[in-house]
Amino acid sequence: MVNPVHIVSIGLAAAFLMSLAGKRQQNILAYFLMIAVGAMSFISLQWLMEIYSGGAGREVFTAGFKPPFAINLRMTMDEAVLTSIINIFGLFSIIYLFDTFKKANNHLLSIFIIYLMGLNVMVMTRDLFNLFVFLEIVAIATAGMMIMSSDKKGISAGFKFLIASSVISGLLLLGTLFGYTYTGTLNIDMMQALPLIKGGAVALFLIVVALVLETKPFPANGWALDLYTSANHGVGAMLSVLSAPAIMFVVYKMLPVIPQDWQLVISFFGIITFAASNYLAIRQENIRRMLGYSSVAQGGLLLATVGLADYLGGSFYFVALGFLLTNLFAKAGLFWLGGIVNSDNMNKWGILRKKPVLLLLFGIFAAALAGLPPFPAFFAKWELVMQLGAGEGWGWIAIMLIGSLFEIAFLFKWVGRVFKAENEENAPANFAMHKQIPALLLGAGIIAASYFFIDYLNFNLTFVLIPLLAIAAFFVIDYAPAFIKNILLIGALSFYGYMIYPELQGDIMKLVFAGIFLIGGVLTLFPGFSAKGARKGFYPFAAMTIFGLLMLVNPADNLTFFMGWELMALGSFILILRGKMAEKPAFRYMLFSAGGAYVMMAAFAMLNNISGAEFFGNINIPANTAGIIFALLAIAFMLKAAAIGLHIWLPGAYAEAEDDATPLVSGVLINSGVLGLVLLVTSFGPQTLFGYDILHIMGWIGAITAIGGNMLAIYEEDMKRLIAYSSVGAMGYIIFALAINTKLGLLIALYYTILHFIYKTMLFISAAGVMHRTKTRNMYEMGGLIKSMPLSFIVVLIGIITLAGMPPLAGFAGKWMFYNAIILKEWYIQGAMIFFSGIVAFLYLYKLISSVFLGQLKDNHRKVKEAPFYYIIPQLILVMAIMVLSVQPQWLMQPLSTIIPASFAGEALQWDGNLATLSTGYWNAFTIMSVVMAMFGILFLWLVYHSRKAQKVKQFNIVFAAEKPFRPETTHVSYNIFAAYKKALGWMVTPLATRFWERLSDIFTAIADKFRTWYTGNGQTYALHLLIYAFILYIAISGGKLL
Amino acid sequence: MEQYLTLQNIGIATGFALILIGLYGGLTNKNILRIIVSFTIFNSGLNIVIVALAYLKGRVAPIIDDTTGLDNLSQKFVDPVPQALVLTAIVIGLGVTGVMLAYALKMYQNKQTLNINDFKETKW
Repeated sequence: MVNPVHIVSIGLAAAFLMSLAGKRQQNILAYFLMIAVGAMSFISLQWLMEIYSGGAGREVFTAGFKPPFAINLRMTMDEAVLTSIINIFGLFSIIYLFDTFKKANNHLLSIFIIYLMGLNVMVMTRDLFNLFVFLEIVAIATAGMMIMSSDKKGISAGFKFLIASSVISGLLLLGTLFGYTYTGTLNIDMMQALPLIKGGAVALFLIVVALVLETKPFPANGWALDLYTSANHGVGAMLSVLSAPAIMFVVYKMLPVIPQDWQLVISFFGIITFAASNYLAIRQENIRRMLGYSSVAQGGLLLATVGLADYLGGSFYFVALGFLLTNLFAKAGLFWLGGIVNSDNMNKWGILRKKPVLLLLFGIFAAALAGLPPFPAFFAKWELVMQLGAGEGWGWIAIMLIGSLFEIAFLFKWVGRVFKAENEENAPANFAMHKQIPALLLGAGIIAASYFFIDYLNFNLTFVLIPLLAIAAFFVIDYAPAFIKNILLIGALSFYGYMIYPELQGDIMKLVFAGIFLIGGVLTLFPGFSAKGARKGFYPFAAMTIFGLLMLVNPADNLTFFMGWELMALGSFILILRGKMAEKPAFRYMLFSAGGAYVMMAAFAMLNNISGAEFFGNINIPANTAGIIFALLAIAFMLKAAAIGLHIWLPGAYAEAEDDATPLVSGVLINSGVLGLVLLVTSFGPQTLFGYDILHIMGWIGAITAIGGNMLAIYEEDMKRLIAYSSVGAMGYIIFALAINTKLGLLIALYYTILHFIYKTMLFISAAGVMHRTKTRNMYEMGGLIKSMPLSFIVVLIGIITLAGMPPLAGFAGKWMFYNAIILKEWYIQGAMIFFSGIVAFLYLYKLISSVFLGQLKDNHRKVKEAPFYYIIPQLILVMAIMVLSVQPQWLMQPLSTIIPASFAGEALQWDGNLATLSTGYWNAFTIMSVVMAMFGILFLWLVYHSRKAQKVKQFNIVFAAEKPFRPETTHVSYNIFAAYKKALGWMVTPLATRFWERLSDIFTAIADKFRTWYTGNGQTYALHLLIYAFILYIAISGGKLL
Repeated sequence: MEQYLTLQNIGIATGFALILIGLYGGLTNKNILRIIVSFTIFNSGLNIVIVALAYLKGRVAPIIDDTTGLDNLSQKFVDPVPQALVLTAIVIGLGVTGVMLAYALKMYQNKQTLNINDFKETKW
């Protein structure tokens, strides 16, 4: 084993040698540097291996004396991991900065290795004064790298950094020396007995405040932000992923000396830094500064974790490593990609689309940083929140989750820009191989880290690991033609269904939702067969969406459910983002998804205290014991199901997604919200919150959602938005039915879920076919398509009859049960609202079919053909399903009835063959179908008979009045067809919710904009911030009692 | 009163006064060179405090000779460690001052001014 002290000696020797080099040796110096850092890496890695395989660490006593007479360095697991990270990342950095190093003079290389060496000693040393010395060395080296590698902006930032670090190190020096005076030692381990009376406490406080200030806490971190903003990308990456963790480790080392209550204060300040920095980042346009804010935020999260080390106990390493590795790989990766793109302007980042691998890397880094699965930060965040929940740290959880939401906000605004920004030719990007390869290595690193985390957590093979592998596989084969990938994905899903069937058999509820997700997934993929080319980036995310959904079906614990939920959200975000005009709607979708997800996470943390990690769908919570959990989960699920007020993401997201992706993200995906709600009402009894019956409130929300969604639909001219709003209405029915909370209510909800899935998927695929042919979404630009697209017409007709709940189709069964359930429940006002919304639905359904298929054919659509074959197949399958359900509804409803828990109130539907009976009445689907078909047949024959003599007229055999329309759409009969209703009822669709959320977002960004002016750019102000912060921390820690 | 006027207390008081003067100067002066000078004053103050802390009245330098004998040395000597440390601290302070001056030079070359208010390219 090489003595760890040689990391220091190699670093020093190399630095001296390089500074002696003349011009002649200049071009080999970079290689020399690499060898030296390689040797340092070797030493630390060797210790890592040794200790990992059970070997002992090493205590190095310098100068042959034991402490306190000499400095000692320590090499245990912690130090081995950190020094390995430092040295290996240093090695990668050399590769990344190779062109800079080749051009630079030898001093930069010396400074670089001194910087690395300094970090190593910071990690290893156990001596406080030694720590001070090496902090200073690192600071000087940082300033040196800044002055030699950055542009003019960087010079002034470096000077501000020096001012700040002078102040901080002054505090540290003072604290160290006072500490020495009171304890007689500089050795950290021997200092543990620091008496907290008077001077001792002040000494300790000075040390602590200096270290905390070094972690760049909000708001005393302007100097750090300026440094990040102007540092060379390679240097910025090192500051973020090496300097920051090293200082965190120093704080960790000091923990035994710091009293418990101080630790909590520090930790809380860390959480504040996390939330506030992420918040201020939302207004950033400059990428490097945004990354700076993000780095500071991640630092805050790490500091919070370190401060909670004692509290977290056994979970500490898991959480800390999760955040550390994510920061290491993802943050550095983003910095390095920044160097490749070579611009701080978000709009120039579209250049990444030219390099799919880099684009994928960017996505991985952003998702990992945002704490999305399957990356380490996701699991770390989950564990941290659960642990905080166990100690009832609700305030902490709230701050952390709000901060995470802001993090999602700026990261995904950026992701959206990268996917959508115009590509300019004169972008300054630098795709040098030596820059790309290190970035790729980081990508590999984060994937490897994710693998270890997932492996450690022992997930279920069938329901978690195989889906994850399948998703990964579709990323690998993304170069293949779309046709092949389509077959593979359909095949994979089918096979997966076959695989999981035995495990789900007998559990109707799971079968129903697995069926919806699987069948829906497969059917909505069919139109993809008519896509040309490779359709890069579609299949991995389609797979992620569908497999994510499937993870929701049979999760072992809440974590698995949450992971599926997040995967599905991420996958569908990208699917939506692929649409042409989708940047803003996709962003909005992501924000709402993330908001809902974090609400859910908080609820799970609370649930964790009641029932542990066990999946909430498998437990029984007694009535009126968990109102707040119930309410939070209900909000999260209703957000996905687009209950009114939380629905504003939906129309844009569904309408702007690619036409053939819409059925998947709408008809199929929306059922995840329903699944959650169903599980919620079945596993929780009725709950109250502040004395109010939550189900009763949900009933009102459902009723208002039904009316609101349908009202919004009738004024739409956009075909997709119309169908999208109708989904809001349908969700209103389902939420209402669940809120009824009787046997019949639950049955309606389940039945309606399946029905809605069938007809909505059908309608959206049909609409996709029409839009594929007509190249427009505006219904007033269509018309008369009945002859050219008869199959699509029939499908839409069947769809809307079902939707409207008219006999004889399956929708009527739902309506009939609804009437009965409402009468039995005696919710008359809400019931009236539900029925009123049913009438409203007729209006938009009429508009849909009449303006698209009836009326005059447009001149430019005369050659339009029927929708492509692959669009028709899934529609016909779904039509068949509706037909079967219409005649034999008991085939579905009887199995569904078996799911309903006996504890549910109310009477159950009785079946006798086709005859359904309740105390309020009976109904026979088969008879109704027969009667209606007979009536239809007679009328049809009569019509055929009567119109046999009718003269056929060609479409353009009409003389129009010579009137030039002001706008072309106004000539379409169904344009603004419901103007009269709009005058009467238009107030009902005032976009209150949209206005509310937009105003809220404006307020938040405006405040962020105001607050970031705190960072004036003046180095002296920043120094003053440090002193003020020290004072505030002093008050917080001591409550003014220390002196 | 007399008892507080020990050499040690005078040293500490002077040191802290210099620290505060240095900080005040560093925060209020606009000229970068003056700021740097202020920080060296700040550092000197720190160093004086360190030395003063280690000074114990009536004790001698930690060198064993005929006058000290070999018994009870730790009672006779002042603590040498802070004085050794102060040397290191001085060297580091010099290093930092050097780097700051290098920055001052660069900043002046870039903008022909030494007013710190003119260097706010990065903010918000």
